[in-house]
Order: sequence, then C-alpha cells, then structure tokens
Amino acid sequence: MEDFVVAILRYGTPLVYVTLAGVLAQRAGVWNLGLEGLMIIGSCASVVGFVQTGSLLFGFGLAIVACVLASALLWFVVEKLRANAIIAGLGLTGLGLGGTDLAVQAVYGSQATVNAPYGLPRLGPAFGAFGVLSVLVAAMPFAVFLTWVVLRRTRFGLQLAACGEHPFAARSVGADPSTMRLIALCAGGVFCALGGMELALGSLTIFAYGMTAGRGFMAFSAVIFGAGHPLASVAAAFFFSIVGALGIRAQLIFGDRVPNDLLLALPYIATIVGVWASARLRGGGPTGGFGELRDY
Amino acid sequence: MRGNIAAVARALAFVALALALCGVMFQAVGFSAIEMFQSIADGAFLNPGAWQGSLRWAMPLFVTACGVVVSFRSGYFNVGAQGQFYLGAIGATFIVDFLNGYPALLVVPLAFLTGMACGGLWAAWPGYLRVTSGTDEVITTLMGNFIAALVLTYVTGGILKDPSGTGQVMASRPVAEAYRISSETGLSPTIVVIAIIVGLLTWVLVNRTAFGILCGLAGRNPTMIVWQGAKMSRLGLAGFELAGALAGLSGVIEVLGPNGRLVSGFLPAHGFTAILIALVAGLSVAGTAVVSLFFGGLASASLYLPVLAGLPAAAIDIINAAIALFITARAAPGLSRLFPRRRAVGGA
Repeated sequence: MEDFVVAILRYGTPLVYVTLAGVLAQRAGVWNLGLEGLMIIGSCASVVGFVQTGSLLFGFGLAIVACVLASALLWFVVEKLRANAIIAGLGLTGLGLGGTDLAVQAVYGSQATVNAPYGLPRLGPAFGAFGVLSVLVAAMPFAVFLTWVVLRRTRFGLQLAACGEHPFAARSVGADPSTMRLIALCAGGVFCALGGMELALGSLTIFAYGMTAGRGFMAFSAVIFGAGHPLASVAAAFFFSIVGALGIRAQLIFGDRVPNDLLLALPYIATIVGVWASARLRGGGPTGGFGELRDY
Repeated sequence: MRGNIAAVARALAFVALALALCGVMFQAVGFSAIEMFQSIADGAFLNPGAWQGSLRWAMPLFVTACGVVVSFRSGYFNVGAQGQFYLGAIGATFIVDFLNGYPALLVVPLAFLTGMACGGLWAAWPGYLRVTSGTDEVITTLMGNFIAALVLTYVTGGILKDPSGTGQVMASRPVAEAYRISSETGLSPTIVVIAIIVGLLTWVLVNRTAFGILCGLAGRNPTMIVWQGAKMSRLGLAGFELAGALAGLSGVIEVLGPNGRLVSGFLPAHGFTAILIALVAGLSVAGTAVVSLFFGGLASASLYLPVLAGLPAAAIDIINAAIALFITARAAPGLSRLFPRRRAVGGA
C-alpha cells in the first residue's frame, strides 16, 4: 500500500504543479495549452543547467527563468498580438519540444538523453517508505495550499478571477486584466518549472526528448475537470495519477496477458472520461468561434 | 480583392516574425542562423531535385489540410489530424495485409475506403462527445493522438508485425508491389490525381454548396446558424467526419505510396503541420494548396538537414511551432497607430 502511495505521488507531483499553473492561467482567462511545452522546458533547463555547471541550484534557477520567459512570450502573443490562445499554446508546446531537442543536440551532440549525476535531495530514511521521494513532493501540499489561499482568500485572487470571467468588472476596480494575466502566467511558469524539474530530477535523474508525454495536456484537462478551482483541479490531477500509477502497476502484474500499450493508454482514456464527465455535469464550453480569423 | 492582398501580407508578416524568432533561438543555442536557413532553403527548394521531395511531402499534407479547413471553418478545433492519420494508415495496412493475393483493382480501393473510414471513426467519437455533451474537443482529440500512437505501436508489434523483421524495428510486412500507388519517391500520377480531386471537391464543397456556406457561417456566428434553422451539431459532426476521413486518406497515401509499410514511430507528423497549413492559408482551399508547398518543402528539408548538412532536424519543428505561435495573431502593436484602420459603418 505504501509503495502504491509513493507511486501515485511520484506520478502525480509533476502533474499537480503544472495543474496549479493551469489553474492560475484559467482563472485569469487564458486557456493555457502551452503547459506541455513549459513543462518540458523546465525539465530540460534544470537538467542541462545542472549538468553544465554541476550546481543543482543553477539548474533550478535556469528552469524558472526559462519557463517564466516562455510564459511571458505566450502572454505577449495572446494578449498583445491577440492571437488565438489555443493555437498559440499548441505552438508554444511545439516550441518547447523542438527547442529542448535542439538545445540538447547543440550541447551534447546527437544523443537521446542527458543523464544528471544525482537528483533532487530526498526526504531521507526518517520518513520510512516515503524517504525515496524528493523535497519537491513534500513541498507540493504547501504549493497547493498557497495557491488556494491566494486565489480564494485574497483580493488579488478575486481580481484575477474577475479578469477571467468579466474583464470589464476587473477594470472598473482598477485591476488591469492584461497585467494580471502576465502575473498569473509568469507565476504559472514558476510552477511549470517545478513540475518539469520534479519530473526530470525527482526520481529519474535524466532528461529525455518528449519525456512529458502529454502530462501538460493532462494537467490542462485536470483544470477543466476541476472547473478552475485549485483544490478540485488538484483532486482531478490526483485522479489521473492514480490511474497512471495503476497502469504502471498493472504492467508489472498483467504485463504478459494484457497488451502493454493498452495499459499505457489508461491515463489518456481517464482524461477523456474526466473531461466528458465535467462537460456532462456542468455543460460544455462554447464552440471555438474561429470565425474572426477570416474577418480581416 | 484588397482584403485578400492584406490577408496575404499579414500572413507573410507573421511568418517572417516567426522565422526571426527561430533565428534568435538558433543563435542562442549555438548554431549559425544564416547557415541554418540556407541549408533549409537548399534542402527544400534550391538543390537540384529538391522540388520533387517538397512535392512528395506537400501532397499528403495538402489532403490532410483540406479536412482541417472544413473542420475549422465550422468552428471546431479538431486538432486530432495526427491520430486520424495514424488510424487511416493502420486501416489500409490491415486490408492489404489480410487480402494479400487478391487483385489490386479490388484491394486498393478497399484499402482506401477502409483507411478513410478508420480516420473518420477516430474523428467521430470526439465529434460525437462535442455535439452531444459539449466535451472540449481540443483535449479529446489531443488525447486521441496519444492513444492512436499507442495503437500504432500495438499493431506493428502484434497483429501486423512482420515475422521476418528484427526485434528492434517494429514494422508491418511490406505492402505487395501490386498494391503500391507510388515508388519510394512518393510522386506518382495516382497521388497527384488524388490530391487534385480532393482539392477541387473541397473547394466546391466550401465555396459552392449550402453545406460549406453554412459551415463557414457556423464558425463565425453559431447563434445565427441556429436561428437560420440549420443543425449546428450536424454541421459540426460532418466537419469532424470529413476532416477525419481526409486525414485517414493521407495515411493511406503514405502507406501505399512512399512508405510501403507501416513502421512504428516512423510515420511523419502530418497532423500538426496540416493544421498550420490551414491556418496560414487563412482557411481558404486555394491558399492551402500554395502553403502546402512551403510546408512540404520544410518537411523535405527536415530529412535533408541531418543527413547532408549535419544540422538537427528539430530546427524544422521549431520553425513550424513558431509559425503556430504567431499565425493567429490579429494585431501588431505600433502598426495600428501608423496605419489607422478605416472601418465602414456597420461592419468590419
């Protein structure tokens, strides 16, 4: 049982951090589909920064700087150039995947993975079976709590929600939606950096091309599933992680009888079911409204 | 007409902006941007014979992009072209594998139909979930892409696996020579004719039929469509189906054409590029044909770069992604002050 909880936390922690980033963006009124790209940028920057300088702290800083810069780029394109957030977000994801591939090839030549000498500090034997988890796992509940307090119990959080739901109302009390979105996206960038770092250095200590494998999109779905509420979205993220951890466990037990690929698809299927369920319960979003594109 | 020229100029301007961002990124990680762009231009268009490569990639891309145009016009973000493309390729491979030995005149059309049906089916469930319960189609189709990739690994490692192949590469048995519609070059009259037919039909559908016009209106103003008495859900579902079928068709072309077999992980990533093509072309069919050539060139260059120029192919992914980032932009800060836009009374 303890092993299973450890497996869920391992799978879920990167997802939860990125979900928090998604919640911030969603409440500010930006559909952030760039989460996947931000996450892989975080993974790559932390590992490359760490390996190149030998300092874990430098990798940590580099990941945060890179993710915040990329978030600011997304903000500029969506807010200032008025691009469609969904397509721009997918573009940022592509930029993250391609950019990290290019950066790794530029630094290390054509090799598929970058190995770090060691990972994040662990909790240590004092925590028993949970000692193998990294400090970022332990920090995760605090990050969730902090986000919840800021979003639900402060003036800033209320104004941020107003920016997403009714920008005019936000403006009328002196909160500039554009600036608020920049703040939300950049704070989300920090969370994405943490999530990416935990993914790469938490238990694996490697960076591999495309290692996020759709987790950013899953986090985005968790936000939709949780209706943008920080705790509900984190709960949704945990639901996906439980399915993911079950899939990994099932591979070990039924690996010879059930096709592996089917078990790997479980989290994706859970995501679809989750989004479908939330649409049934709360009603779906409006249609894309892509028409403006042609109204030059 | 003036509007069209302005639209083309805008698209070009944002593509240029995207390329500039790419140049900065190339320089930042330590490549020479000039050398990179020069090699890409060489690989895509300038080298002798490069045009053939570009055309080879442009045609399946164009077919997929036509479907995306219809789907996006009706206001649905069907971003699952990649998965639908995989499923089309898988369906066609099943047919040519199990009916091996039957006359080509029977097998090849059947493979085409099956591939299109499979692609259509893979678009059907997100479409159905969208119109019945409002499930966000961006997420379902994206997840569908991941699942389709796993299905591809599954069938190439299981049911369709070539028993004579080595353990490392999971691939199906090669398609029999009689069923191939082109050689390795991927350029044959059959494929060109298919692309032209698809292009013409889509153009007629979008511009000259009630369905196409209604779709276009549905994308711009769903409320009005309901008042007009048209069924938004039916239009949307039809758009999804068509996009899926055309993506599937493109998968069939890849398998029966240049690829000649189904290899796990080696099918090109047409889906995302096709979406870009449709967007850069401003969702016009004629524009899609032209833009397909450009992106076909980029796809061709991504094979040329690592082999002949010693540069990473990821450069092409970055260019594609950067274009995606900017292409839907509707404003250019500063420019609006320089060129104030005159609005006619009562409309844009």
